Amino acid sequence: MIRVGIPRALLYYQYYPMWKTFFEGLGAEVVVSPPTTQALLASGSSRVVADTCLPAKVFCGHVLALVDKCDYIFIPAIRSVKRKIYNCSKFLGLPDMTKAVIPESPTILDIDIDINKGKRELYQAIYKLGRRFTWNPFKVRKAATAAWQAHLEYEELMINEGLTPPQAIARLSEAETPSLAPAKASIALIGHPYLLYDEHINHRLTHRLEQAQYKVLTPEMLSAEQLELAITRLTGGAYWTYEEEVVGAGGHYLEGGVEGVIGVVAFGCGPDSLMMDMVQRQAIRLGTTPFMSLTLEEHTAEAGVVTRLEAFLDMIQRRKRRQAEVCA
Amino acid sequence: MRIGMPHMGNLYIPFKALFQRLDIDFVIPPVNNQRTLSLGVRHSPEGMCIPFKLTLGNLIEAAELGADTLIMPAGSGICRLGYYAKTQEQILQDLGYNTQIVCLGVSQRKLFGLLGMIKRLSNNAPWSKIISAFRFGLAKLNAVDRIERAVQKVRPVEQIKGTANRIFARAIKAIERADDHNTLKKVEKDYTSELNQVTKNDSQPLIVGITGEFYVLLEPFSNLDIEKELGKLGVEVRRTTFISEWTKFSLFLNPLGMNEKDRIHKAALPYLKRDIGGDGWESVGEKVLHAKDYDGLIHLAPFTCMPEIVAQNIMPSTKEHIPVLTILCDEQLGKSGMLTRLEAFVDLLKHRRRAKVKV
Repeated sequence: MIRVGIPRALLYYQYYPMWKTFFEGLGAEVVVSPPTTQALLASGSSRVVADTCLPAKVFCGHVLALVDKCDYIFIPAIRSVKRKIYNCSKFLGLPDMTKAVIPESPTILDIDIDINKGKRELYQAIYKLGRRFTWNPFKVRKAATAAWQAHLEYEELMINEGLTPPQAIARLSEAETPSLAPAKASIALIGHPYLLYDEHINHRLTHRLEQAQYKVLTPEMLSAEQLELAITRLTGGAYWTYEEEVVGAGGHYLEGGVEGVIGVVAFGCGPDSLMMDMVQRQAIRLGTTPFMSLTLEEHTAEAGVVTRLEAFLDMIQRRKRRQAEVCA
Repeated sequence: MRIGMPHMGNLYIPFKALFQRLDIDFVIPPVNNQRTLSLGVRHSPEGMCIPFKLTLGNLIEAAELGADTLIMPAGSGICRLGYYAKTQEQILQDLGYNTQIVCLGVSQRKLFGLLGMIKRLSNNAPWSKIISAFRFGLAKLNAVDRIERAVQKVRPVEQIKGTANRIFARAIKAIERADDHNTLKKVEKDYTSELNQVTKNDSQPLIVGITGEFYVLLEPFSNLDIEKELGKLGVEVRRTTFISEWTKFSLFLNPLGMNEKDRIHKAALPYLKRDIGGDGWESVGEKVLHAKDYDGLIHLAPFTCMPEIVAQNIMPSTKEHIPVLTILCDEQLGKSGMLTRLEAFVDLLKHRRRAKVKV
């Protein structure tokens, strides 16, 4: 059986159920790299130039972890998934960059996704990808339809039940998700999924918040319409492909419904440097919901994250107490 | 309405000519200096690239001089540049300036977008006047770039170092002052012949290509005058990026299906299959294309520039081999650090050439 490797990094969190269904529909076995570890991150960092952003380094580490474990590695080049809204250069250059820095990598399956070129090009790209596994276009079509269905179900699951991507993926594979203790308050975490759900690089941020009895809200729990509306209110219209995860969710949660918003960014991330700034400016302008931005990189120390988190949560508790006093 | 715009190299000269001829009220902010940079750095998000910081500095300085309508390039599908205007508008607002940013779409509407914008700014001047002013601006742009090319050739071989730079500075002033096509032609001719008459030594200078991100290539303040420094070291600089070239193709020839970059893209294809925004594709392509005819390549990129980082990662893996020195430009780049690296690089190239001659 042909084994297709999927690195547990970057777009994995958005599209894993879709990709898995597609490749399994074509009769391939899907291999996912293990969760990020320090050694894995170090191996990835050693291959690329120092200025590369943290998520890309993590990604290279995951590709290295898949060497010799699969026949192909799936790395799509996603240029655009909405009309006239484009993705960051790192995503576009990902297949070529991986090939350049990891010459020993298994054959890379790349596919160009660019919605601006029209449906026909998109279908052709999907068919070209499927051709590696079967000559039968109907089989590719069937797998692609099933994959799209799986993706919709996955998104719905996160919105309706308030699950994070890792929880939803676990649910889809029918593992039990632990039920949580009732929460004191809710905190919104905004940022790209590859930062929010990679427990190693964010030093178990979600876990820590849940331990402190906070309910964690994430961008995936909002519907596409809510996110789009928030972006339009804040900047007039999206510019980046994954802008809704930052500006959309940030704008939405800052307007109410949560006790605090934490923005998570990776050092050296181009789009985030601008998007998080937009959210921060909005937070200052509104002055209603506390906002903290947390920058992650290889040298981010656990103690630093913990200290800042504690201070932020203390501040929120103090604020709540004072509000209660004023009301009483 | 008073117009202001950021600097990029000598781009202000054609725009000044254009605005003057159309009687548009405008200000030219001070050329990039330490204050511009400090202002830009202070008010920019920390992870931004140097083109953002410097242009923001320019916009603030223009606003200080009373500009209320600021021109900024924008568009989609091109790195962070397309988001600059949005963010800078908010920053200026938060700083308390009552300014409006006019976006100049560099990627979509090309010539007609530009002309349409000029028409709006000029308070509906007649088209004949706009076209003639536009042509004069273009003529100045081309004249500046032609002189610069000549200067690049003279710098490494001049007998007395600095002669070409001094002539260049005077030429720029004269071109700026010229107020009709005839004067402009005469100025260009005079200075070209002056450059030709500079006494030269008969050395065979090293040839170093210089490629990378558009803004840092064209704004000497951001790259600490790297071309002049290389000239002092006796190196001839070859650069394909000129504003006049860019204008010629992107405004006139691209809509007709001609693309100067096709050759470069084709060269990059085995290593980078697709456009990644910015100038990343071109950087890889230039390395492949010029591996044979240059002695070395200097790759300039702003710190945290997304496309150039991808290019920088890919460049070492090309089969076509040529030494590449990547220099990242930002407010932390120090002159002596850069000079040391340039000297070491030039030494390496000299050794390589000597070794080649021996073989």
